[in-house]
Amino acid sequence: MPPWSDFEPFIVSGLALGGVYALSGVGLVVLYRATGVLYLAFGAVGAMGALIAWSLGQVGAPGWVTWLVCIAVAALITLGYGVLFGPALAKRDPLVKAVATIGLTLVLYGAMDLLWTTSGGEARSLSLPTDNGGFSIGQIQVDWTQVIALGAGIVITAGTGAFLRYTKLGTAMRAMANDREITATLGVPVRRVEAAAWLGCGVLAGIAGLLLADLVALDATTLTFLVISSLAAVLVARLRSITLTFAAAIVVGLLHDLLTPITSLTNYRDMTPFVIAAIGLLVLSRRRVMTQSREEA
Amino acid sequence: MRAALTRPQRGQSPAVTRTRPDRRQLVRWVVTAVLVLFALFGLPQLISLYYVDTMTQVAVYSMVTLALGVLVGRVGLVSLGQVAVLAIGAWVAARLLFATTQPYPLILLEAGLLTLVAGVLIGLPALRLRGLYLALITLMFAGAITVVLATVNFPNGGTGFLGYNGSLLHIPPIRRPSIASGDPAYYRYSVIVAIIMFALVFVHIKTKPGRAWAAIRRSEPAALAAGINTTLYKLWAFALASFITGVAGGVLAGAVHYLYSIDFPTQDSITLLAVTLMGGVYSLWGAVVAALLYQFLPALLNNWGVSADWLIILFGVGVLQVLTTSPAGLADQFPKDMARLGRALRGRFLRGRFRPPPAAPAAPPAAGSTS
Repeated sequence: MPPWSDFEPFIVSGLALGGVYALSGVGLVVLYRATGVLYLAFGAVGAMGALIAWSLGQVGAPGWVTWLVCIAVAALITLGYGVLFGPALAKRDPLVKAVATIGLTLVLYGAMDLLWTTSGGEARSLSLPTDNGGFSIGQIQVDWTQVIALGAGIVITAGTGAFLRYTKLGTAMRAMANDREITATLGVPVRRVEAAAWLGCGVLAGIAGLLLADLVALDATTLTFLVISSLAAVLVARLRSITLTFAAAIVVGLLHDLLTPITSLTNYRDMTPFVIAAIGLLVLSRRRVMTQSREEA
Repeated sequence: MRAALTRPQRGQSPAVTRTRPDRRQLVRWVVTAVLVLFALFGLPQLISLYYVDTMTQVAVYSMVTLALGVLVGRVGLVSLGQVAVLAIGAWVAARLLFATTQPYPLILLEAGLLTLVAGVLIGLPALRLRGLYLALITLMFAGAITVVLATVNFPNGGTGFLGYNGSLLHIPPIRRPSIASGDPAYYRYSVIVAIIMFALVFVHIKTKPGRAWAAIRRSEPAALAAGINTTLYKLWAFALASFITGVAGGVLAGAVHYLYSIDFPTQDSITLLAVTLMGGVYSLWGAVVAALLYQFLPALLNNWGVSADWLIILFGVGVLQVLTTSPAGLADQFPKDMARLGRALRGRFLRGRFRPPPAAPAAPPAAGSTS
């Protein structure tokens, strides 16, 4: 077992990673509750945004423009998909809706690999200016990007919670999570509320893509499949509670990074989300309800 | 609002179609037999060695897509981890091939059975979940297996339980059966193994498990109420799929001679699901179509110098198209489109003399309907 001081820097990086997973997870849960779609292309649209931002940066666009473009690209792709395919698949099983987003993932992934080819060994990186500043707690160096990542996770979790509870749109989303048809008969503009959920999820995907491109790597494959880590948190929360999603995401991020200094386990640290999701799902699924009308795991 | 009040149509399930030995069926059998004979004896004579290797891969992956098709199309279980299962089969087969001198068919059987055990061990807890959750837990397991494989590596003739020696300079190739050491011969060998696996699935579908699966796919509570042991039959499907994929892994080990863990990335499981859906999960032919999409098209594009990324984009579009407009995939849609084209052409040229028959009402079953 390495000394405690070896773990200290990884607490900070783990919390930052957990913060991004948390905001991704919150986006996934809200979209799932509002539309019944588990958005598996979340990572891919974020990666697309980040890569476009990188290309803009290469031609000399100012930093803030590239960040906004990153978020806008992710939001527009997500909204476009939701408006095009959401209604067509609205009455289908949640599984079918989730698999359909795999289609979008593959389209984006293929396009990214084609446009920003990785076979040449070209390494890209996207660094935010907040990487340079920072402060230290004792021996631990903390940079502002890490603070922003964790802060964004906390703020977005709390903000979404308040939004769902206190605003009219949030109430409509919660109603749709219960029953889309009844909500529609009560006069809620279902499609518009769904579009709002798609847009919100897309914005979060863009933010997550930007932060992960800085914190982890700017690489289409890595970013596309990092969504699996947030999925693990979402699964532990059973696609319901955003508080639980936040907690699970922080645990996933923290545990993943804390395993790094332990030599015997460091190769297996990428298994963290899978193990947490598997344990969480299997333990939590003990109360099994079988219904005819709605999918309950 | 009408659609809100009626459930989406499910259509007739594939397992309970009438088995009337009419002329159509006879034609179908003859065509199948001719195609199989051509694949075995005609094809290797006509194509270059490059495409013989490609077709060997097609034979291997047709088994994998067959297994996935059984899970998705027959039982309604979506697995996002089939490539990890294939890797387990390949690992077991490679380890046994290096460790023993057993005949190849025995190794394939053992690889299949050990993969079956692994599949059941994973499936037993996972099958308590349904639908979306099951699909995601298979994705998680696949991710975990990929991480383990990256550390453990595939056997390369080393000693010990894992059989991997990182400092080995001359890595011996994984052996092939003595009767099929050349590429065309090994291709025929793979096709024969694939035919046996297809026959195995065919028998399952036509008998009691097939009927039980069809009932489960339409409605699990209804199947339960009808006295079907749903857990048993779901586990059975999982076991069968694992067995077939394990055997495919064994054939793959001999086909490529050298195995590396980077050849089994998690994203391939996702692509595999995409092509399986595109090929069509309600027909055994769909598995062949899917394997051609997955292995033959990339080889063809590679030969033409076109990036395989276009294919990934095509698969993505294909998934969206299959899920929104034609749930039974290419294996179902292509003949229908051809028939429609034929009718349209006949209607154009033989107007007045010929009256096209009314189009059959399409009532495709919803993919993965487990609600």
